Amino acid sequence: MFEALFGNESAERVLVYINAREGGYGREIAAFFDASLTSIQKQLDKLEIANILYSEQQGRTRIYKLNPRYALYKELKQLLDKVVEFYPPDIKKVLISNRRRPRRKGKPL
Amino acid sequence: MMELCAFVSNYLSGEGMPVVLVGGACVSIYSDNEYQTRDLDFIQKYSVKRKGLAKSLSKIGFTERNRYFEHPDTDYFIEFPTGPIAIGDEPVHHFVELDTPLGPLVLLSATDCCKDRLSAFYHWRDEQSLQQAINIAKDNDVDLKEIKRWSEQEGMQEKFARFIAELK
Repeated sequence: MFEALFGNESAERVLVYINAREGGYGREIAAFFDASLTSIQKQLDKLEIANILYSEQQGRTRIYKLNPRYALYKELKQLLDKVVEFYPPDIKKVLISNRRRPRRKGKPL
Repeated sequence: MMELCAFVSNYLSGEGMPVVLVGGACVSIYSDNEYQTRDLDFIQKYSVKRKGLAKSLSKIGFTERNRYFEHPDTDYFIEFPTGPIAIGDEPVHHFVELDTPLGPLVLLSATDCCKDRLSAFYHWRDEQSLQQAINIAKDNDVDLKEIKRWSEQEGMQEKFARFIAELK
């Protein structure tokens, strides 16, 4: 939708997803958008090199997050919050309603 | 290490690519080598194409591998993190120039270096960075009032209080 602004569609997807979910990893982002893992991983790498994202190893998975140390972090977050407003309501709802929150192991739904 | 940094910095400046030393190498300089690193991070003052940078560095024997530049005569390797030069969301415009036998070396001030380490502690929960910030503050005349102001702006009053408590 805003790929011209972000450079390409994969970059937009990565940033929107990670902002909405407060983190994400390649395989889940690719699955969510039905996109190729290679293109998503390429953007994750590129955005990490640019310090826009940082990553943490959690178990066997590398989780990427927006880097709060990035110079335009606050502005980027605001922009991405606005971008998601333009997404189809069903996609927006699923993206936002599944934020990464602490959750006790075994807690019933 | 400082001489190597100064040599690379002056060489690149002469090539029209001025850089500023940031990161762990600054910590090492300000904490009298208490913290050791082989990773020399420079940020370019003005954006230069990677190809041009690699070409210039190749003239003095550096080769690029996985975004790092290596030289057969040293264990240190050079990295050029993406700019801009900023601490948190504040741009840095004032740097320190140290005189070395191989010319001046431009780097972050001790106060900014301390803030940079605190930023890693604040946002990434990196305890080693807190210790580095403490070492810098102990060994140098850092502006604690400025660090307090910046920490509050980052919303990190509690973590700043811990830094101050451990500094004493």
